[in-house]
Amino acid sequence: MYDVIVVGSGITGGWAAKEFCEKGFKTLVIERGRHIDHRGAEYTDMQAPWQIENRNKVPELFDEEGRYAMIERKGYFKNATKQFFIDDKEHPISYPKESPFKWIRGYQLGGRSLTWGRQSLRWGVKDFQANAKDGNGVPWPIGYEDLAPWYDYVESFIGVSANKDGLDTLPDGVFQKPWEMSCAEKFISENLKEAYSDRRLIIGRSANLTEPTKEQIELGRGQCQARAYCNRGCTFGGYFSSLSATLPAAERTGNLTVVTDSIVESVNYDDKLGKATGVTVIDAHTKQKRQYRAKVIFLCASALGTVQILLNSKSKSFPNGIANSSEAVGHYIMDHFSGVLANGEVPGFDDKFSIGRRPIATYIPNYRHEQKDGVDFVRGFGFQGTAQNRSNTGTAARRVGIGATVKDESNQAGPWRFRAIMYGEMLPNYDNHARLHPTDKDQWGIPILHIDARIRDNERKMIKQAAKDIKEILTVGGCVDIQVNEFPESKPIFVGDRVHEMGGACMGEDPKNSVLNKWAQTHDVKNLFVTDGACMSSCATQNPSLTYMAITARAADYATKLISQGLL
Amino acid sequence: MSNINISRRVFIGASMYLVATPIWASVFNSANALAVFTESGQFFTADELTILTDIAEIMIPRTNQPGATDAHVINVLDGLMLSWAGVETKFRYKSIIKQVEQIALASFKSDYKSVSQSDRESLITELDKRAFADRTSELSISYRKLKEMIFHIFYTSEEANPNFMLVPGTYKGDISKELLDLYNARGRVS
Ligand SMILES: Cc1cc2nc3c(=O)[nH]c(=O)nc-3n(C[C@H](O)[C@H](O)[C@H](O)COP(=O)(O)OP(=O)(O)OC[C@H]3O[C@@H](n4cnc5c(N)ncnc54)[C@H](O)[C@@H]3O)c2cc1C
Ligand code: SF4
Repeated sequence: MYDVIVVGSGITGGWAAKEFCEKGFKTLVIERGRHIDHRGAEYTDMQAPWQIENRNKVPELFDEEGRYAMIERKGYFKNATKQFFIDDKEHPISYPKESPFKWIRGYQLGGRSLTWGRQSLRWGVKDFQANAKDGNGVPWPIGYEDLAPWYDYVESFIGVSANKDGLDTLPDGVFQKPWEMSCAEKFISENLKEAYSDRRLIIGRSANLTEPTKEQIELGRGQCQARAYCNRGCTFGGYFSSLSATLPAAERTGNLTVVTDSIVESVNYDDKLGKATGVTVIDAHTKQKRQYRAKVIFLCASALGTVQILLNSKSKSFPNGIANSSEAVGHYIMDHFSGVLANGEVPGFDDKFSIGRRPIATYIPNYRHEQKDGVDFVRGFGFQGTAQNRSNTGTAARRVGIGATVKDESNQAGPWRFRAIMYGEMLPNYDNHARLHPTDKDQWGIPILHIDARIRDNERKMIKQAAKDIKEILTVGGCVDIQVNEFPESKPIFVGDRVHEMGGACMGEDPKNSVLNKWAQTHDVKNLFVTDGACMSSCATQNPSLTYMAITARAADYATKLISQGLL
Repeated sequence: MSNINISRRVFIGASMYLVATPIWASVFNSANALAVFTESGQFFTADELTILTDIAEIMIPRTNQPGATDAHVINVLDGLMLSWAGVETKFRYKSIIKQVEQIALASFKSDYKSVSQSDRESLITELDKRAFADRTSELSISYRKLKEMIFHIFYTSEEANPNFMLVPGTYKGDISKELLDLYNARGRVS
């Protein structure tokens, strides 16, 4: 019998484990993926391009066999990183043809904390008010002020390099030294500041250490060396991951037990006690089932992983899945979405260069919380963008030309170009849902998820506006030769493609329409908590993991108080 | 480079040509500056290695900087055929070699390895132009695929990246050319 079971060892599971272990609770982390050693053989960050197997190309066999179809062309899916992503052929999901979905996963100790982009942004006051304001989704039971101290707490531990920009929409926090902007980015940033009261280009806020604290050094973490190889694992412990930070912190307390290769099939519920008693696990290799017991259960299996477990945990009291009296489990699935890519030349810096590989982009925070300029949609969007290097002439690999002259003209410094991609806020919509497939099961006999989440009218309208806006922003920013690429309305947009999938067990005051209370504790089962992305009632435009971490730490603090008072 | 006229018919004919039995090369032809392989690789025969190495060097010749041969492009490619290439690529790479041989034969009445260096350069240059002018033929697809991989291997090689820093130390985004050269010479941004 453990005090706490934490399901999943990714960004949120690592945090839950650290918090409970540091507070003296015997904690079991159950992870479906394999064990990975921090700085072990699976890290490839110390390999030069010529040392990486297959010169970093994934084997063509994957394509031939239809494997990894969801991510095959993604920049982050390379030979050096492929071990950290799962093959969707082995782990299928289902979705309607007209509303395709991508569920991009990493089943291993550390989950997607190993491969995340590390952009760590607070939500602002308005983000938590949005549902109540425009009536979409379930109103948040918490506001920015509830999370602010937990953002501080989390940022102090993980290490966030950022500038104090003084923006209401993107509150400042506990920051380490920011990364430098390039001359081209500074130029655009200054032009925007001068021209607009609401649009800013700031340096990204990144969970890469620029000024490691004593605590971080004691955990074996070192200063980031500007290599941008983070998604290969980092030998220096320069970026935050469960393996570099939370799990070692939990481990050193002596209170942590980790079991890997163990798939949580369901949460066990005692109808008489009215409590969750533990979980049933299927061994990933032998497929044998076993059970673990604990006083408290934290589900941190990632938003959709947790939805799957909740829906699959059926009992007399909860025939439609545990903690689902509201029938809201699986609903309000969201992700950020894009639909606009743009780039423009930044003239005037032909004598300037960059060096080193900055591990973060720049950012234009959402400036459309209010419905201004006569727009016909609610919520807003921001842009992630970069001009960290000069463009270069490239090589003739895919164009005509061979020989000495072509070679001499290759890879020469070109003009600075700023590239931007829109990140829009998808509305929480009850109809965007995930449910258990009625017949199809995975290789462990667990029903697979059927996900039906669609980009709808509000989102499409945003795309149109974002295309107009970014053209104007780049012009005002001083760019020339601006190209804006708007995703055609006729083509479906894959929800999940931005890898910020969330929702499915939303927080709310009312147990009739929400799954979790303001502590991320299920309304129905007091000793069951959900603190991964499933708990989100809306998705804002900021990358979400920092908010998940803050919610997890806050929920763990609350749960420890309840355990100590004998209330769980 | 000699001014040859490789006919359209030859290219169409070559597009239809499929894999033939590999021929082993056994002599070194110093007269036409051809590096002749005498041992097979893991995937390619010695003969194929000879032709591929020549094609790669024509594409990316040694200048005052290393070329494809210096960067061992074809040796690497030979290894990648087992660990990276799929069935189609394996077929295409074998077949493009045969197609190049066939074009040489039709154009110069001589097998590729006996053709002069300048004629070989003309042949591959012409092939390159035609492959990008009409991207639909099998010949074009196979050629472009091979070219892309040769370039990829070269431009990810140590030889092509003398300033590569595994551990730069930090990032600077507003430096002069002098400072850039200094950091590159030091191998670190500090
Ligand atoms: C390429 C990429 C870039 C990203 N960039 C950013 C970014 O810049 N900023 C940002 O905020 N977010 C980013 N994200 C998203 C971020 O990774 C996720 O939001 C975050 O990892 C979610 O944390 P989590 O703990 O909920 O899930 P995960 O980190 O995915 O961890 C879930 C864990 O649970 C395990 N698990 C699942 N099901 C079960 C089960 N049934 N039993 C046992 N274990 C189970 C999984 O194996 C996994 O280890 C990015 C993601 C990717 C892939
Ligand atoms: S950029 Fe920094 S954190 Fe990323 S791999 Fe390099 S040293 Fe590690």
